Amino acid sequence: MSRKFLCLTAMLLVAGLVCAGGSWAAEAKKPRFIVTLPGMLGDKSYNDSCKVGIDRAVAEFGVEVKILQAASPADFESNNLSAAEGGYDLVIILSGQQKQAASKVIPEYPDQKFAIIDFSLPDNPKNVYSTLFAANEGSFLAGAAAAMFTTQTQIDGVNAEKIIGWISGIETPLINDFYGGFKQGAAYIDPEVKILQAFAGSFTDPLKGKELALSQYEQGADIVMNVASATGIGILDAAAEQKKFAIGVDLDQDNLKPGYVLTSMLKNVDMAAYLFIKSVVEGTYQGGGRLYLDVAKGGVGLTDFAVFKEFWKDKFPQNIVDRCQELAKEITEGKIKVDEFPGVR
Amino acid sequence: METLSNIVTYSLVHATLRMSTPVVLATLAAVISRQGGITNIGIEGIMLFGAYFGFVSAWVSGNWLWGVAASVVAGVVVSAAIGIVHLKHNTHIFVIGFAMNMLALGGTRFLLQQMFNVSGALLVDKPVTLPILRLSLAERNPVTASLFSGYSLFELLAPLLVLGVWYVLYRTAAGLRLRSVGLHEPAARSAGIDVYRVKMRAILLSGVFAGIAGAHLSMGYSSMFVENMTNGRGFMALAAANFGGGNPIYAFLGCLVFGLSDSIAIRLQSTGIPAQFVLMVPYLVTVAVLTSAMIGHSRRSDAARIARKLTEEIQGKEIRGKANEKGKGS
Repeated sequence: MSRKFLCLTAMLLVAGLVCAGGSWAAEAKKPRFIVTLPGMLGDKSYNDSCKVGIDRAVAEFGVEVKILQAASPADFESNNLSAAEGGYDLVIILSGQQKQAASKVIPEYPDQKFAIIDFSLPDNPKNVYSTLFAANEGSFLAGAAAAMFTTQTQIDGVNAEKIIGWISGIETPLINDFYGGFKQGAAYIDPEVKILQAFAGSFTDPLKGKELALSQYEQGADIVMNVASATGIGILDAAAEQKKFAIGVDLDQDNLKPGYVLTSMLKNVDMAAYLFIKSVVEGTYQGGGRLYLDVAKGGVGLTDFAVFKEFWKDKFPQNIVDRCQELAKEITEGKIKVDEFPGVR
Repeated sequence: METLSNIVTYSLVHATLRMSTPVVLATLAAVISRQGGITNIGIEGIMLFGAYFGFVSAWVSGNWLWGVAASVVAGVVVSAAIGIVHLKHNTHIFVIGFAMNMLALGGTRFLLQQMFNVSGALLVDKPVTLPILRLSLAERNPVTASLFSGYSLFELLAPLLVLGVWYVLYRTAAGLRLRSVGLHEPAARSAGIDVYRVKMRAILLSGVFAGIAGAHLSMGYSSMFVENMTNGRGFMALAAANFGGGNPIYAFLGCLVFGLSDSIAIRLQSTGIPAQFVLMVPYLVTVAVLTSAMIGHSRRSDAARIARKLTEEIQGKEIRGKANEKGKGS
């Protein structure tokens, strides 16, 4: 009796183990990813853009993705360290702001796969796949659009003065690359256009961004380019309040203040995040590889101006859209060479 | 020379008022608690709660008055908590104040996620904002329009509130009681003043102003709620209150100095001076002004301090002993 009972228990146990093992194996098949952000979600720009790509990958491949946000730069190193420790299939590190933390952590985990967006490491380590964006090319188009727009006085709020604004958070090589392209693009259309440049000192202070935008409007600018993550929300707010204009950045921000955002310079961070996850899922991950996303590959560009057009109807200057498309084509064909900030790539 | 005239223009007046008003309102909160002898570092957190509940209530109800009311209620509730923990249970104000600041930061982030399923910032299509006063007569000319029109409600009310607080502090019996508590608590107690009640009242009133400062931040200065949108303004207010030696009018002037130097600094950026330097200017000016004011202040009050110290040494222990007995009775 007792032997029978023992046998039964043993069989049940084995069956249980097999079942558990089976389900455990199925769990392990599902690749796990982790992304470390340079800031918090909700900036309607850079960080949110990365989330868009992650969501797409989750929907398409059913993978598991964890996102680590950083309340301040003090979190960078600990976030990247815990990401690298977690045994994920891939650690994605976003933004050159995290370069220092990343270059400390990555060499200590030679067997962990990494993907980095918006910066690269010297000598391309074998376990790092990096992406860089041609922010200068996208900004060139934005600068050209702004320079053309600042003389469209048929639109209420545009003055005759050829002054445009440009606001960012903290000066970094990448941000200088943005500015260089913007300046070149504006000068390409009209060398007389004057650019007011300002930094908020933070990427997370919308009120400072608003104040900077208001001061540039007071100094005669009628359109201000936003390159400032969450600080930029304030720039768009100032535009709508003063009935002046702004250009969005990273994500399509045209709809945040319809009629006051001329266009947005798209920098498709979502595309990079999506491609990285895809590369691991499909086994095409290239350690030591570099992905360069420019206008030609659709990594950067402008929106279609549709929201602005809808708002201003007949007053909308269609030639700006046409000209920007031509310029994009010329950049793709290599007819226009946009300078890059030395050392940024 | 041309750049200088670009920077120093009539638009500076409006910009200065606009930039200093959020700090001015918070400064009133700081002044009131400082006069009661409390360095209320929780103002930052109270402002943040005020900004959140004000913005949300105004948006939900469609009326800015409900927003301001909600901000004030939030301010009073939070400061009541601070007051009870600090005054009744003798926790150091820095501990409870700091705890409240962290609670406000995390709490508003949590509420944003729970209530609206967003993180970072709450942007809505039709935000309800505080009224903006526009004079059609002034609007005809860009100069007068900038100088006299387009002010948000509290940008105009703030100077009046400053005068009001000054009057209460220096011209009423309640103000005298509060100041005497702040100056020398045992002496006030021995004069029969209910110190606990006076201090509690000061903390609650301080909460009202901090709540209003928050409402102005999310509904007047901007039209959105953003995580950590106070960004140190509560601490700047403490500095301003100190700078004014607890006098709201001097503290107000201190805020204006900061607002002016900040607006000039912002304009300096477009002249090509490195941004890192320019961003430092307002703080440099503040430190310089503060130091000079401190030097003047300490010269003036040296005699008074020595006199007070002497009395304290002679009578201190005796008075304090008696006062403690009395304090427990209340």
